[in-house]
Amino acid sequence: MRKIVDTIIEKIIFLCGISSVIFVILIFSFLFIESFVFFKDFSIIKFITGRYWYPDSKLALFGIFSLLVGSFLVTLGACLIAVPISIMTALYISEVASKNVRDILKSLVELMVAIPSVVIGFIGMIVLVPCVKKLFNIPTGLTAFSGSVMLAFMAMPTIVTISEDAIRSVPWQYKEGALALGATKWQTMRWIVLKTARPGIIAATMLGIGRVIGETMTVIMITGNSSRIPHSIFEPVRTMTAVIATEIGETVNGSMHYKALFSIGLVLFLITFLINFVADLFLEKNKNK
Amino acid sequence: MVDKIKVENLSCYYNKKCVLESLSINVIQNEILSIIGPSNSGKTTFLRTLNRMNDLDSIHSRKGEVYLDNNSIFDMDMEDLRRRIGMLFAMPTPLPMSIYENIVYAPKRLGLISKKPEQDALVVRALKDASLWNEVKDRLKSSAMEMSGGQQQRLCIARILAINPEVILFDEPCSGLDPISTAKIEESMIELKRKYTMVLVTNNVKQASRVSDRTAFFLMGKIIEIDTTDKMFVSPKERQTEDYITGRFG
Repeated sequence: MRKIVDTIIEKIIFLCGISSVIFVILIFSFLFIESFVFFKDFSIIKFITGRYWYPDSKLALFGIFSLLVGSFLVTLGACLIAVPISIMTALYISEVASKNVRDILKSLVELMVAIPSVVIGFIGMIVLVPCVKKLFNIPTGLTAFSGSVMLAFMAMPTIVTISEDAIRSVPWQYKEGALALGATKWQTMRWIVLKTARPGIIAATMLGIGRVIGETMTVIMITGNSSRIPHSIFEPVRTMTAVIATEIGETVNGSMHYKALFSIGLVLFLITFLINFVADLFLEKNKNK
Repeated sequence: MVDKIKVENLSCYYNKKCVLESLSINVIQNEILSIIGPSNSGKTTFLRTLNRMNDLDSIHSRKGEVYLDNNSIFDMDMEDLRRRIGMLFAMPTPLPMSIYENIVYAPKRLGLISKKPEQDALVVRALKDASLWNEVKDRLKSSAMEMSGGQQQRLCIARILAINPEVILFDEPCSGLDPISTAKIEESMIELKRKYTMVLVTNNVKQASRVSDRTAFFLMGKIIEIDTTDKMFVSPKERQTEDYITGRFG
């Protein structure tokens, strides 16, 4: 009897263990099959490079270039804001702050993950958007820039937590060695700590990007949703995620439009997969040292 | 004989616990002073006070004075002091980069040298002074992490020599090394005596007798005896010293 229970539990654990792998494979094949059908009818090159997303017009056009640019701009902006602040924060937490401050700061930063994206979007909408409009004197505050600022908040906890781990795992002997050679605390951080922790920090950044590029709710709420190719970050943009989320409910199951949205999903999936993969490579490199 | 370092009534505390008690000692120019004693005798604390590494520890406090060339080290800029008093740690700590880079890394960033020929000359000089040149001259570009432990430790010596210190502190520099590497380090120490003043903290009594001019015996945060190494090892004045040197305790 005991043996049977043992075997059953073992099987259940095994199933749980591989379920996530199976889900990823299922999702990928589902996306892939739907997109494959779509690309038979609509050229993949036109899909990627097409400037116009007119899914409902008579001669439907499914060009996602403007969406790609939109996602890229928002993500880039978010990184430019989040990465420097996050690295500084991580440095402060692990190298400068006293133990009490460090504990408080760390849990606060981790708490930031818990803020629902719709709340971040909401705050962005009522606080940031009017400010951006006034500050830069532009017709609307719903811009790629606003999206970047709010998304930077969402990327920060990820980047801070993982960079902090990387910085903390720099052997203290390195630091002591540098200090004994007459380096100041800041010089030690810059030359030794940041240099040694670099793979981990790059991985942290990649994971932060992964989170930002897949984010949907906030960008729907504050980036303006205009699928044109923007000329600057102070113009409204539309991201790939926003298109899928807003349009999937209005499409006919199995139509070209429906399949096109799946294809966007596939592109997104591939991008995030690639980013996570690169991040993993850097994390491995960090471990092996 | 000029006093390079003069310590007067130095007491050190960790969390109010006294680990060094009103210590007075001097280090003579161009000598090797060994400090021996069982663990918890305050040897390392003493050494780390000389280049103020202890100041980084928030639970550490001290009383008393330490003079380097008659100037109080506690009035000096901490970074300047550490450039004048280099320190070698028990574990070799090469940085994860090439042998060449390991040596020029600090001088370059401290603004001591800039041009490539200067750097090359510095690397040659430092490696020669640390008796490492012959072993690594053909692979300066390879990673320092691929060297043996003893070579890494001598690279760390070279790295210290590259910033031209006046005093070098050795904190049990051979505790992780085999006898042959230990012998090589000791050789270079004796070689370096011509230019530098050195303080060696060691758990290896024989090492102290081999390399040092004078030896001090520490016990429980106090200095029990200090004398020339020859006298100390032949006829120690104190009973405790004799017991420790002959291996009866510690």
